[in-house]
Amino acid sequence: MRSLSIGATGMLAQQMNVEVISNNIANMNTTGYKRGRTEFHDLLYQDLRRVGSASSDAGTIVPSGVQVGLGVKAAAVYRITEQGNITITDNTFDIAVNGKGYFQVELPSGDTGYSRAGSFQLSPDGDLVTPDGYLVQPGITIPLDASGVTINASGEVWVDIQGQVAPTNVGQLELATFANEAGLEAIGDNLFLETVASGAANVAAPGTEGYGTILQGALETSNVNVVQEITNLITAQRAYEMNSKVIQASDEMMRSVTQMR
Amino acid sequence: METPGYVALSRQAALRRELDVISNNIANMDTPGYRGESMLFVEYLANTKDKVPAGLRKISYVQDIATVRDLSEGAKTATDNPLDLAISGDGFFAVESENGERYTRNGAFMLDADGQIVTTSGLPLLNEAGQPMVVPDTAGRIDVARDGTVSYHEQAGGDAVQVGRIRLVQFENEYALKKDADVLFRADDQAALPADGSEILQGFIEKSNVKGVVEMTKLIQTVNSYQSAGKMVESEHERQRRAIQTLAGRSA
Repeated sequence: MRSLSIGATGMLAQQMNVEVISNNIANMNTTGYKRGRTEFHDLLYQDLRRVGSASSDAGTIVPSGVQVGLGVKAAAVYRITEQGNITITDNTFDIAVNGKGYFQVELPSGDTGYSRAGSFQLSPDGDLVTPDGYLVQPGITIPLDASGVTINASGEVWVDIQGQVAPTNVGQLELATFANEAGLEAIGDNLFLETVASGAANVAAPGTEGYGTILQGALETSNVNVVQEITNLITAQRAYEMNSKVIQASDEMMRSVTQMR
Repeated sequence: METPGYVALSRQAALRRELDVISNNIANMDTPGYRGESMLFVEYLANTKDKVPAGLRKISYVQDIATVRDLSEGAKTATDNPLDLAISGDGFFAVESENGERYTRNGAFMLDADGQIVTTSGLPLLNEAGQPMVVPDTAGRIDVARDGTVSYHEQAGGDAVQVGRIRLVQFENEYALKKDADVLFRADDQAALPADGSEILQGFIEKSNVKGVVEMTKLIQTVNSYQSAGKMVESEHERQRRAIQTLAGRSA
């Protein structure tokens, strides 16, 4: 019975939908998190009576045949890379990107990870690192005797050193952009990896054409809209229930057959 | 006169297929751009050779002759995603598949690695010249005007750069479009005409036009009709059994 398996595809798809929604809600407060959305597509169609086939000798044709679809599939879970809100934290090493671009982080494996979460800290050596201790690329070292650090919109890092009137430039932050941001592979810990789908990273200083600017003392929050997610959750739950009713109905029909004699 | 069983059977076979159509609608309740379908039944008249008055010499079976597509627009939901596009009014987006042009109302687009605007299954969206549209990776926000003109601003400001205009098409007979998988329609021999008067809404997505409550009602109706057809088969069985018993009893 086709409708049994069609109902099952519907339940499976909605289950995945709920999983994606719950992950969005769980990461509501994750810095730099980009929400995901499940995208559904219909499955193949079976022609029980072909469109356009002749219905008589006189050449009359069937205007619309009987096409029966075989259900639904979750075609993609794609990330919506819209900018999240910016919250001011007044913390020196909290850095938000306003616009396009990812920070580059050196992973223990030697690969480069990309991140929108700019909650950085200093390592014992004064290097700028992520909360996991991974080095931010290109490396920036803050001298131990620095009394103040300023990061400007174009990513230049200036430090005040006691006894010196003019601030010293200790480095330049860079941002990476991708042709298809949604194609990046998320690996957890607010990090992404480059893939064939995303295209190669283009690296430049913040504020140059096509790149966002840097805001010191601020963090980008997740772009999850809670009200929307809860609404989606309710819709998904109802859709799941309706699909289970389809299975129940198919079952009832089959039962009425087995009880016949 | 042993036809009641077959009449009921024709009803049951048709109802089973109707249930398939309803289940597919419910399964695709959240598929953007999906168009619901319903089964169209007709009476199929057959002659009998019974010696009954002429008016009663026809037996009517039921036949599911076609699936009829609901062409109404689905609800639009705001998504805030610049590459989610919905069509207000008639028409379809034209996309390029491996097997030729396909048409869709599913406006969930994204950029691929080459900067082309593509569907979630990777098929490029076509402009008025029938070419894919490419947005360079230096682009900031992408804007789609109501008339379908796609443009972008360089991040650091400056003038808007136009990429092209999205081609919206419509068909003389939308019912004759065939469904392909992945919410695509196939036109076969029909010519794609420009859909004038339709507009594109940026940041919106058109949901499927399936109405859950209506489908649930149809679902219940289908199950009940199926069961009552089953009852008919049973009572016909009972009638024949009694007839045999009665007749056999008399002749003994």
